[in-house]
Amino acid sequence: MAARKKTRTRKARVVSKADKEFISEAEEILERMRLDLADLSDQRAAGEEVDPELVNRLFRSAHSLKGLANLFGFDPVQNLAHHLEDVLDGLRLGRVLLSVAVVDVVDRTASLFAKLLSAVGDTAAIEAMSEAVQALIAEIELAKQPVETQAEEFATLDIEASLLRALTEYEEHRLRENLRRGRNILLVDATFEIISFEEGLSELTTAIREIGEVLSTLPAPGESSKAQICFSLLVASDLTSTEVDARFEFPDTTVRSVAAARNPAPAAAGKSVSTSVSEPIATVDPPDGAAPATSNDAPQIQPPDPREFESLKSISDTVRVDIRKLDELMNLVGELVIQRSALGDLVSRLHGDPATARIGSDFGKVHKALDGKLRELQSAVLEVRMVPLRQVFEKVSRVVRRLRVELEKDVRLELCGADTELDKLIVEELIDPLMHIVRNALDHGIESPNERSEKGKDPQGCIKIDAFQRGNHVVIAVSDDGRGIDRERLRAKAEAKGVIEPGDVLTDQENLDLIFAPGVSTRDEVTEISGRGVGMDVVRHNLAPLGGVVEVDSEPGQGTTISMTLPITLAIIRSVLVAVADQRFAIPLNTVQETLSIDPEQIQRSEDREILNHRGDALLLLRLSDAFGLAGLSRDEKSFVVVLGMGDSRIGLIVDRLEGQQDTVIKPIQGPIPTIRGIAGATELGDQYPVLVLDVSALLDDALHRKEAA
Amino acid sequence: MSEAPTPNETGGWETLAREAACRLESGGDLSELQQFLTFRLDGAFYAVPVERVREIVRIRPITPVPRLPAEVLGVISLRGEIVEVVDLRRRLGLEPTEPARRSRIIVVHGGDGSIAGLLVDGVTEVLSVDESDLRAASGDAVESLCVRGDEFVSLLDLNRVLEIDGNQ
Amino acid sequence: MQRILIVEDSATMRALLVSALDEMPTPVKITETESGFEALRVLPRQRFDLILTDINMADINGLELVSFVKSNETYRSIPLVIVSTEGSDRDRDKGLSLGADAYLVKPFDPEELRQIAQDLLSRAPRSNEG
Repeated sequence: MAARKKTRTRKARVVSKADKEFISEAEEILERMRLDLADLSDQRAAGEEVDPELVNRLFRSAHSLKGLANLFGFDPVQNLAHHLEDVLDGLRLGRVLLSVAVVDVVDRTASLFAKLLSAVGDTAAIEAMSEAVQALIAEIELAKQPVETQAEEFATLDIEASLLRALTEYEEHRLRENLRRGRNILLVDATFEIISFEEGLSELTTAIREIGEVLSTLPAPGESSKAQICFSLLVASDLTSTEVDARFEFPDTTVRSVAAARNPAPAAAGKSVSTSVSEPIATVDPPDGAAPATSNDAPQIQPPDPREFESLKSISDTVRVDIRKLDELMNLVGELVIQRSALGDLVSRLHGDPATARIGSDFGKVHKALDGKLRELQSAVLEVRMVPLRQVFEKVSRVVRRLRVELEKDVRLELCGADTELDKLIVEELIDPLMHIVRNALDHGIESPNERSEKGKDPQGCIKIDAFQRGNHVVIAVSDDGRGIDRERLRAKAEAKGVIEPGDVLTDQENLDLIFAPGVSTRDEVTEISGRGVGMDVVRHNLAPLGGVVEVDSEPGQGTTISMTLPITLAIIRSVLVAVADQRFAIPLNTVQETLSIDPEQIQRSEDREILNHRGDALLLLRLSDAFGLAGLSRDEKSFVVVLGMGDSRIGLIVDRLEGQQDTVIKPIQGPIPTIRGIAGATELGDQYPVLVLDVSALLDDALHRKEAA
Repeated sequence: MSEAPTPNETGGWETLAREAACRLESGGDLSELQQFLTFRLDGAFYAVPVERVREIVRIRPITPVPRLPAEVLGVISLRGEIVEVVDLRRRLGLEPTEPARRSRIIVVHGGDGSIAGLLVDGVTEVLSVDESDLRAASGDAVESLCVRGDEFVSLLDLNRVLEIDGNQ
Repeated sequence: MQRILIVEDSATMRALLVSALDEMPTPVKITETESGFEALRVLPRQRFDLILTDINMADINGLELVSFVKSNETYRSIPLVIVSTEGSDRDRDKGLSLGADAYLVKPFDPEELRQIAQDLLSRAPRSNEG
């Protein structure tokens, strides 16, 4: 689109912090609008009826955009958004005809928003666009074709007044439309536990959308218990209440009829609004592909397809779980592990005394069995955190679908390995880098259809995303069949940025790898697509904390492949938690050889060092409280020793308490003093206080070095 | 379950809200002016350039970090990022106090792409300053002064504020 | 300290509400929720002395929330203010007829919001918690 060609260098724009935030929230809204617009166009192109919720969402987006622009005093956007909101309000309330002209003008308004946003801070550019804004506003007003609506009273409906009173104007309109169309209006009452109503309600709503439209959702206090909440869902459907009731297997749910289907409205009324969004909607086709019942054969209800029951059942077999609940579960397992260690101590004490040795041995067996089950539980919980890449792939498809229109490129997207599973946390971190790579491929890799034809290539380009497991890693490779990376330009850019010297000799791979050097792949001009001057170095940087690696391969004229290799669960490492002076620290488990509970009299001295006789060997002790200048327990109290080992070095770290093991994600510390001797980073354990992770090799080094000096 | 829900991040919006309000009131075009986020410290006003401010957050649990100078209170967790918090009172040689209700942590961009938190007594507003209204100052970390009503606002040199000697 | 519940899906608007309420003469404790559902979950957990809600939200609309609060023995006495962008008069009338105590149009005047909040809070029985 034209907006892209008009790129500006960043220097010309004075973008303040506030503007940036405004742009970023506005862009988010705009992105949502464009996806909805694309869906709307698809539905129209496919000859389907337009989902009213889509138009309602578009209205809400325009509404939010107006509010935001208003708040930041960005007049051109506010003005335009106001008119857009107005026309969308008319559309969703059925007062304006959903014509080709309206869709077109809405689409162009979204594009102009993008242009305006990309020019925030550049007063001259905004000024230059004011004519276009005015022209578009005039067009919006012109495209509005009013539809005659007639009010229908709800007096005949068997609904409590309280429910009617809580309907917004839009919801009233949808109710009226469905009545006019002669659909059954049902009231579905369902009761849920208040703490978990969202899952249940969303299942119910999803199931209802299969058979009709949810007009409103009214919450009401639970009748029998304060811990419960009721919802009354006003539903329009071609099915009767008995049929719906028979299909649903939800507990504590009742369905009753509020208005029975009657003959459809006279043809004349139907005709005048035949292309209007106010036409009835069958959101989802029945799975057998049968067309949704039209107004002419509405009373003929098809016998329910057995597969539909299957699909309903599969919904109820799955439970959506908040990731935080999984963290909680993980923490509980961690606490169990702590208890298990305590049991282990008991077992060894029983073993140690001849009088209890026999019972100790029996106890030991039980302890071992418990231990095994605990490990199974732990890996089962970890497994639950694994999610397939499918959702990420779907998101990529949506973006590609949108971008190829915007960039006027003909591209097909091939996706392989959507079932490959990764830790949910990694998947979330992966989305941005992946999107960035895909955008790059579309924006810079794939040539225009003309250019491709001239080169003798298939005018339609191809981007392929391939995900597969390799050992303990998952590889995600994004390949395009575009123009490939221009080595010479990359080299020149790297030289200009001072990454390499003009005379440096590079292998081909080294030359390609320059793409990851800071600033080299960053574009000078900001395009709408790749935007904000983010380069491949950022992709590499984002993946590093996950233990991920990104590689590039490119053949001039043939295409480019960027592959990311990520550990399946490495973002999580086991740590032993210890406490000194009531502050917790985490020690990576792979550096911990064992933990001991010791009495003060077991500690021996050699000059100023403390030593423990550990199975005949002298184990040098280090008090964490001393190393970190904390007020630990007094020296005559019972304490714990964590035996740390790396390579051939070993020391015993004295701490006040052991607090079991946890899975931790180590993060770097940012700030004026980012490197602190003895501290590798920090981790979060869910209680808001970051927990510092010890740098065991530094602690060993310090302790042993001092020993030699002594 | 009985615990109070944690309030959502107010993030950069707090600044923006104030800035927006300020812009709505004045209705003027601020593009020619420099903007500073002003805040209170020990009864006086200080400010940092708005473009260096990433967000403003309420006081949250701070984990003390051993082996750091007293100016650095410790680290906080910021949606997964671990960030050091500088006690700006101590850093500027003022009397340290306990954080209060209006205390905020201003998260600023450091020189090297990292971020850092500054503990202040309270954030006041976004101030637009014409360059000609600035007066040079010779403080350790104060770059210049500007007049706001009958009070002075000390504009901080963030790079110098964040230069803290880690070797104790 | 008295508690205010904010129900608003726009982060910007929430921040504006909070920053206005932060300047109340007597400090208040603010709980922010970004959807009607979240508000429904939070409501039983603690006592609130005032609720501010938007109308246009994705899950349940503000009117439905008003209806819920005002038809509920436990919550009926909590004063409720609708803070919404200039919308239709019908939605406004409906909100008030459902029992909302005030209706404020966005963008609102912080001083006006504080005034309304102060009035309604002084009417509300002071909560003993926290």
